[in-house]
Amino acid sequence: MDQNIYLIGLNHKSAGVDVRERYALTNIEEFEKGLLDMGIREVMALSTCNRVEIIVVCSEEFTENEILSYWADKCGGSKVDLEPNTYCHKNLKAVNHLFRVASSLDSMIVGEPQILGQLKDSYRKAVEAGAARVIINRMLHKSFFVAKRVRSETSIASNAVSISYAAVELAKKIFGELKGQKALLIGAGEMAELAATHLLNSGVETIRIANRTFSRAEELAKTMNGKAIPFEALYDCLSDTDIIISSTGAPHAVIKAKDMKKVIKQRKFRPMFFIDIAVPRDIDPDVNGLDNVYLYDIDDLKDVVEENMAQREDEAVKANSIVESETLSFGNWINSLDLQPTIVDLFDRSEGVARKELAKTLKRLGKIDIETQEAIETMALSIGKKLLHEPVSFLKRRTEEEGAAEKFVDLARRMFNLDNDTIPPDAHCRRKKQKD
Amino acid sequence: MTLFEFFQYVIIALYLMGMTFFIAGTLKNNQVMGKLGNLCAIGGFALHSLDLLLAVTLYKSTVLTGGFFYFSLLGWSFILVYFALWWKVRNTFFALTASPLALLLFIASLAAQSLKVTLPAHLAGLFIGLHIGTIFVSIALMAMAAGAGVAFIYLNNKIKTKANLTSLGKEMPSLNTFDRVNHWAIMIGFPLYTLGLAAGFLWARGTFTKMFSWDPKEIVTLLVWFLFAFLFHQRTVVGWRGRKPAILVIIVFVITMISLWGINFFIPTHHSFKV
Repeated sequence: MDQNIYLIGLNHKSAGVDVRERYALTNIEEFEKGLLDMGIREVMALSTCNRVEIIVVCSEEFTENEILSYWADKCGGSKVDLEPNTYCHKNLKAVNHLFRVASSLDSMIVGEPQILGQLKDSYRKAVEAGAARVIINRMLHKSFFVAKRVRSETSIASNAVSISYAAVELAKKIFGELKGQKALLIGAGEMAELAATHLLNSGVETIRIANRTFSRAEELAKTMNGKAIPFEALYDCLSDTDIIISSTGAPHAVIKAKDMKKVIKQRKFRPMFFIDIAVPRDIDPDVNGLDNVYLYDIDDLKDVVEENMAQREDEAVKANSIVESETLSFGNWINSLDLQPTIVDLFDRSEGVARKELAKTLKRLGKIDIETQEAIETMALSIGKKLLHEPVSFLKRRTEEEGAAEKFVDLARRMFNLDNDTIPPDAHCRRKKQKD
Repeated sequence: MTLFEFFQYVIIALYLMGMTFFIAGTLKNNQVMGKLGNLCAIGGFALHSLDLLLAVTLYKSTVLTGGFFYFSLLGWSFILVYFALWWKVRNTFFALTASPLALLLFIASLAAQSLKVTLPAHLAGLFIGLHIGTIFVSIALMAMAAGAGVAFIYLNNKIKTKANLTSLGKEMPSLNTFDRVNHWAIMIGFPLYTLGLAAGFLWARGTFTKMFSWDPKEIVTLLVWFLFAFLFHQRTVVGWRGRKPAILVIIVFVITMISLWGINFFIPTHHSFKV
C-alpha cells in the first residue's frame, strides 16, 4: 500500500499534566479539517484529560514531523517542546495501540470503561466531519469490537478498584439491592463523604449524618439530601440503620461491641455493615464477631482494592493476547485492500459455495455415472465464475480511479463477507445526514 | 430397551445436562449456561411429570405400592420447588441443591423398581394426597433452605474473614437473598410438614388402630418436627436471621436424609420398602 497509518499522542505516562493541558485539543473539528487540507487522507483526534491522540492515514510522503509541527502550532507551542513528551506508532503498531486504548489497557486505572465512550465520541465527530473514511472506519469499528471481546472474555473490569466502590460492592454482597437501605455517616471526612455518595448513587434510600459539630453535619446533610442528627443521639439511630460509615477524629472507639448486642436485638437481627475509615479506628473490632454484623476498616478495604488491582493486571495479560490476535487480523485486512487478494478471495468463496451445493445435489441424485457428475460439477463452477465476471470488471475499473480503490475493495469484501467479520451492532456511530 | 425405558434415560440425560450447566454456569459466572440449565431442567421436569402421570394411569392398581414411585415423586418435588424459588428470586444458584438431588432420586427410583410398600388400598388416595404430597414438598423446601444455609455460611465466613470475594463471582446471590430463601422455605415448609405428619398419624390410626407405634421412622420424624418447630418459632417470634437458622436447618435436613436413606432401607419400619 502506498500509505501509512500514524498514531501520534501523549498520555499520563509520557507527559505531565501541564504538558497535557497545554497540548489538549479544544476544537477537534477545526484541527481535523486543517490536517485534511494539508492533504492527509483520513484523520481522527481524541482529546481527554489523560491523553491526546491523533490517528492519521496519509500517503508515504508525509512524516510524523509534519503532524507534530502542525499540532504544536495549533496549540501555540513548539515542536521541540512537544516531541519529547509524545510517542509515535506506525501502521500495525498504531492499530495495536488503538486497540489497547479502546480496551482500557493503556488507561491510568486498567479496565475503567470511560475511555471507550470518549473514543466513540471522537469517532462520531470525525465521521460527521468527513475525516474518517475506509481505514479509520474499519480501525475504529474493530477497536470497539476488540474492547467488547476483552470485556466479555476477561474479567478485567469486574472488580472495584477504589475504596468507596469496594465498600459499595461489599454492601451489595450483604444486602443485595441497596434500594431502601438506610445509611448513617459518623463524622464528615472527605473519604467517608465519597463513600456515602457512592452508596446514594447505588440506591441507598436515606442518609443521616452525625457530627460533633452539628452545623457541619447540617451543611453536609444539605448537599446529600440527608438529615443531620445530634452526635449524642447516635445509638438511638443505630437500630434503624443498615450501613454505617465512620470517620471521626476521636482517639478511642465511638461504637463498642457490648453496646451493639442490644442494638442488634432491637433491630431483630437484621444485618448491619460498618465501614470504618477513621485512623485510629472508631468502631471496636469485636463488633465483627457479632452475628449479622460486618465490619470493614480502611486496611481491609485497601486489601480488597489491592487484590482487585492485582487481578486486573493478571486479566490484562489475557486481554493483551486478544489485542495481538485482532491486530494480526486487521493486518490481513489491510493487505487485502489491494485488488488482487480480493479477486482471489472472491473466486475462492464462489468455488467453496459451488462445491458445497454440488455435494448436496450429488447426494440427492444418488448413483449417477461419472460423465454426468463431471458435467454437473463443471456447470456449477462456471456459474460461480461467470456471476463474478461483472463485479470483478467493475472493481478493476473503479480501482483505476484516484482514491476509490480502498472504498470499493472494502465494499466488495464486506458485501461478500470475505473477512468473516462480525462487527457488534453498538459499534456504529451515527452518520450525519447529508442535507442535499 | 422399551419406549418407557428410553423415556426415562432421556429424563436422566436432561437432568444431568441441566446439573452440569448449572454447576459450570455458577463456577464461570455465565448466565447463558444458567439459562441452558433451566431449559434442560424444564424439559426434564416436563418429561418427568409425564412419566409420573403415565405410571399412575397405566399401572393404577400397582403403582402406589411401588417404592420407585415415591423416590421419583420426591425428585420431582425438588425441581418443582426450585422453579418456585427461581420465579421468586430469579437466580439459578438454588439449582445447585435441587438438580443433583432430583437426579439422584430419579436414578434411585429406577434402581428401586422391585421395591414394594404395604399400602391399604382404601386409604391410598388420602395417603398420597396429604401425607406423601405435603411431606415431599416440605422435604424439598427443607433442602432448599439447607442449600441456602450452606451458601450463607460460606459467604458469611468469607465476608467476616475479609477473604477475597471475587472468586465467588458476581452472580452469586447476596447474604440477604440466601437468608430470605431460608426464611421462605421454613415458613412454608414447616406448616406443610406438620400437615403431612398429621395426615400420616390419622392414616396410621385408621390402618393400625393406633396413631403412634414407636416405629423408628416415627421417632426420628417427631424429632425432626420438634427441631423444625423450634426453628419456625425462633424465626417468627424471636426474629432469628442469618447463621443460626442456617445451621439449624442444615441439621434438620441431614437428619431427614438419614431417616430417608438409613431407616427406610436398613431398619425395620412401616416405611421400609420391602423387596
